[in-house]
Parts: sequence; structure tokens; C-alpha cells
Amino acid sequence: MFDSLDIGASGLAAQRTRMDTIANNILNARTTRNAAGGKETYRRKFVVLAPGQANDPSKPGVHVQEIDSDQTAFRKEYDPGHPDADAQGYVSYPNVDTAIETVDAMEASRAYEATVTMMDVTKSMINASLRLIA
Amino acid sequence: MFIDRMLNEGSTPLLEQMVRFTAARHELIAADVVNISTPGYKQKDLDLGAFQHILAERAEQRDSSGPENVDFSDIDQEVDEPRGMLFHDGANRSMDQLMSDQAKNALMHNVAIELLRQQFQTLELALKERVS
Repeated sequence: MFDSLDIGASGLAAQRTRMDTIANNILNARTTRNAAGGKETYRRKFVVLAPGQANDPSKPGVHVQEIDSDQTAFRKEYDPGHPDADAQGYVSYPNVDTAIETVDAMEASRAYEATVTMMDVTKSMINASLRLIA
Repeated sequence: MFIDRMLNEGSTPLLEQMVRFTAARHELIAADVVNISTPGYKQKDLDLGAFQHILAERAEQRDSSGPENVDFSDIDQEVDEPRGMLFHDGANRSMDQLMSDQAKNALMHNVAIELLRQQFQTLELALKERVS
């Protein structure tokens, strides 16, 4: 029964990482430069989830296998006054769609809540079992 | 010998099997819940009907040592049929179904535990040879 709590913990960690990645995407939805200030459009990131615990994939649970970059094309916007505009006046903005990110964030949030509920149920079952010897 | 008979001939061993079953099923449901967003993940469950069938057979065949433990690998199964809408990644996830299964399973577990507790209390009273 205690394994169910470990399974729940793996789910919470995975959904938290997913939410961090989504938040980073939304914050960088208009970023056209890298951390050093060079011209480099931000590329959308997403988590790749896989079954099994992170430290032992043979155990039931879930883990973030990798955080990958979305290779779809950047959005082009005509903005000739922008310092990062190309010769034709177009700026390459990140391939981040805030609507998609918002829906993903809701899904991650619901999955997190479901996992918390599952852990509450697990605790109630453990408590019931412990009452046998109380 | 007397204690063995009291513990193995009533419903106590059957309730014990029920608790084992609900605990094992809860772990599978927990894994299904945390993998709700995992692409291509096939949900797993233990078939309650199959378990009850096996348990009924064991109960009929049991002797004074009580019924044998049910091997859950015999009734462990991947859920093949789609549960709700189809997903492009091939997963058959359904949060509603999972939460419902989880609630029913937890209730079944708690009922079995409560019945076991009452049986142990009765046994304790019998051993004390007084009502309260």
C-alpha cells in the first residue's frame, strides 16, 4: 500500500516539471534573444513522460524522460522597427501558442489534483488498515 | 488448533483476501492516474468479477488451513476497450472512470477492514469470556 504513495509522488514531480516547462514557454512567448543577449528566438519546450519511476523504470509510476524542443517553424510578424527584424522587416517570434500552453497548464493542474486525491485515498486506506491493530 | 479453526473457517480469510485484492488494485489504479498524460500508456486493472470467481472456488475447496492466496497475475489485465474519447497517441485514458474505480475500490477495502475489525473484536470478547 505504501508503494501507492511513491507512485503518487512520482506523478506530482512529473506534473510539476511539466507545469514549470509550460510556465517557461508562456513567459518566453515573445523572446527573440538568448540569455547572453544574442539574437536567438526561443524555441517551445515540452516534457516527454514515460511510465516507471525515475530511479527505477521497472517500478510503477511516471517520470519525465526528457525535455525536448518543438521543431515547428517560428511565427513571422511584420515589424520593421524591431531591432531583430530581418531584411524584409519580419521578426521571428517563438513557436509558442499561449492558448495551447493554457490548455496544457489546465491539464497538468487537473492531473496534479487527481494525484493528490489518489494520495488522500491511499492514506485513508492505510489508516483503515492501521485501525485493525489499534 | 482451536484458534486456527476460528481464524480459517469463518469469513476472516476471505476478508483478508479481499483486503489483499483491493490493495493490489489500488496500486494499479494509482499507476493509471499518474500516467494519465503519458502518450501510448495502456491502463491496467484487476477484474473484480474474476477475483470473486476465483475466491468463491478457493472458499469451496478450503480446508482447516484456510483458502490459498489468490495470485493476482492470473487476473491482471490491460484495459483494451476505449474509456471515453479516443486520443491520437493511442492512450485509453479516462480520468472519470479512474476516479470512480478508485472510490469504489477504497470503499470496498474499508468495508472489508471494518468487518475484519469486528470479527477480531468478537474474538477478543470470546477470549476474555465477558461481554464488555
